[in-house]
Amino acid sequence: MSTLKHKGKGPQAMTANELRDGFSVWLDENLDWSRDYANALRTEDQDLIDRMQLKAETDEAKNLVVGTYFIDVEPDTGLPARYREKFRVNGPSYDTADLLEAK
Amino acid sequence: MYRYDEFDAQFVAERTKQFRGQVERRLAGRLSENEFRPLRLMNGLYLQLHAYMLRVAIPYGTLSSEQFRMLAHLAEKYDRGYGHVTTRQNMQYNWPKLPDVPDMLDDLASVQMHAIQTSGNCIRNVTCDPYAGATAEEIEDPRPMAELIRQWSTLHPEFSFLPRKFKIAVTAAEKDRALIKAHDIGIQVVKDASGEIGYKIIVGGGLGRTPIIGQTLRDYLPKSELLAYLTAALRVYNRYGRRDNKYKARIKILVQETGIEAFREQVEAEYATIDIGDIAVSDAERDRIKSYFANPDFETLEDNPADFTKALEDNQAFRLWAKNNVAAHKADGYAIVNVSLKPKELAPGDITAEQMRATADLADTYSFGELRTTHTQNLVLPHVKKSDLFALYKELEKIGLATANINLISDIICCPGMDFCALATARSIPISQAIAERFADPERQRTIGEMQIKISGCINACGHHHVGHIGILGLEKAGVEFYQVKLGGDSSENAAVGKVTGPGFSQEELLDGIENIVELYLAQREEGERFLDTYNRIGMAPFKEVLYA
Ligand code: SF4
Repeated sequence: MSTLKHKGKGPQAMTANELRDGFSVWLDENLDWSRDYANALRTEDQDLIDRMQLKAETDEAKNLVVGTYFIDVEPDTGLPARYREKFRVNGPSYDTADLLEAK
Repeated sequence: MYRYDEFDAQFVAERTKQFRGQVERRLAGRLSENEFRPLRLMNGLYLQLHAYMLRVAIPYGTLSSEQFRMLAHLAEKYDRGYGHVTTRQNMQYNWPKLPDVPDMLDDLASVQMHAIQTSGNCIRNVTCDPYAGATAEEIEDPRPMAELIRQWSTLHPEFSFLPRKFKIAVTAAEKDRALIKAHDIGIQVVKDASGEIGYKIIVGGGLGRTPIIGQTLRDYLPKSELLAYLTAALRVYNRYGRRDNKYKARIKILVQETGIEAFREQVEAEYATIDIGDIAVSDAERDRIKSYFANPDFETLEDNPADFTKALEDNQAFRLWAKNNVAAHKADGYAIVNVSLKPKELAPGDITAEQMRATADLADTYSFGELRTTHTQNLVLPHVKKSDLFALYKELEKIGLATANINLISDIICCPGMDFCALATARSIPISQAIAERFADPERQRTIGEMQIKISGCINACGHHHVGHIGILGLEKAGVEFYQVKLGGDSSENAAVGKVTGPGFSQEELLDGIENIVELYLAQREEGERFLDTYNRIGMAPFKEVLYA
């Protein structure tokens, strides 16, 4: 769960971590969880935002995901506004595992 | 090596079983995240930026080859093929999956390991001089004392919910390789005027957002009084520590706000109420623990065997490695070998499962099956025959672990930073790699000499930047990473907190700035001076000038 506050203004996306595997996920247009931010639903539509909130609460209660929260999205790039969230989207810029896989 | 007694074995088995049940209930939805979170943290399981992270305790940084093989097994079977040695001598796995964690803990328990008390506001894993039991510099092996503290502090009912986490480090040498003055409590084995062995107690040190160098609480404490005295100190902390403010809750703030004299009086007053005999362990029990740390069967050897001196003469790379990575041992004909986990291609402290296994085999062949992790995120093979050093070096070379950079500019302490850590403000691994790349030339590294660069990805300072000769703190503003620099920190027995130079830098500017600092030092240094000595002699101003040029 992010310790940084999002402003809750402009386009929003809903994120969480999978309970079992721990991976970062975002709600997509079908209100399913996707590990790929490219699929993330980013919207300013308050109705949709309310539905995302409900879905997040439901899935948290169903123990599918943990630590749900909205993130601010840059309207022009579609990327998360906060630096930390940009990082969650991309994964580590360095991971020894990648080196091993490349081998 | 210490072996669990019945109590230890039973409690670890029970805890693992309990945690398995807790994970099952969590997955089945019978425990909410709010209920589960403290339980998983008590078992070392964090949820980080991208995934779970499991932190495994390595008590006082001592491992058997069998245990190291198990750590390799965990990396391979449940993670992504590697582990990360932390600045508290522990091992972290970055990608475990929740349903696998009970199996990981079972596997760990089979080699007398666990992940208990690697998180939470309790007494954490006791860290120790990695040369313990091998160096002639120590008064005695401090690990039996560390083991005693481990037993006493494990599941201690009174100290399981302290105002904040509590870290203890121990050493028995004057030369401090355990950073005892930057711990909540640091313990140094000392002798009194009559030659009796006891302990010097340092209190209130710590890094984090408020770096403070610890102060002496007791100059000399008789051995038998250790646990009673620690109890008194912890009680005072437990009672008066700032539970109202997380950022002021460490003992260092209490000691600072109370003043060391008044704090000492409080501890002594509390101590006077304690029945020492009630807590103290018997000599027999101390001897029992000590027996597990007895010297291995050292052979009587000539100190500098001919084959070793010949290998030094014949092979320049080996000579340079031996000069830099090998330290003096207490037994003639033996040496302490530092294995650098800072090869250019890996993140500081990372080690692959394959390398772990190979190093465990090398420990069996050359070091009585024993290894150490260090707070500088390297490994130590503590007892290697000098006549075996060349063969060992060749083997380490094959697995990419013969980098001859211990204590040089590329032997960087570096926390995981924004690449993995949920609390980070900026990345640290790419900075360490860029510095290692910029100063890749081994000859240049040797010319520069001892230079400790330490990098943290946020003010929590896990990368010890406050005590780096050059300390680097990663921050972020408006989506851009920048790096603040500290100079003049010291992690030795002369511990000192570095001073901030001024405004921060981009990564590129930072690298150029470090290069300028290094060049100035090389131009200014006097015979025999390390960077830190030159800095202490000429002060911050000239370095600042070239840093911001
Ligand atoms: S210093 Fe900060 S970024 Fe680095 S490991 Fe510690 S908490 Fe994480």
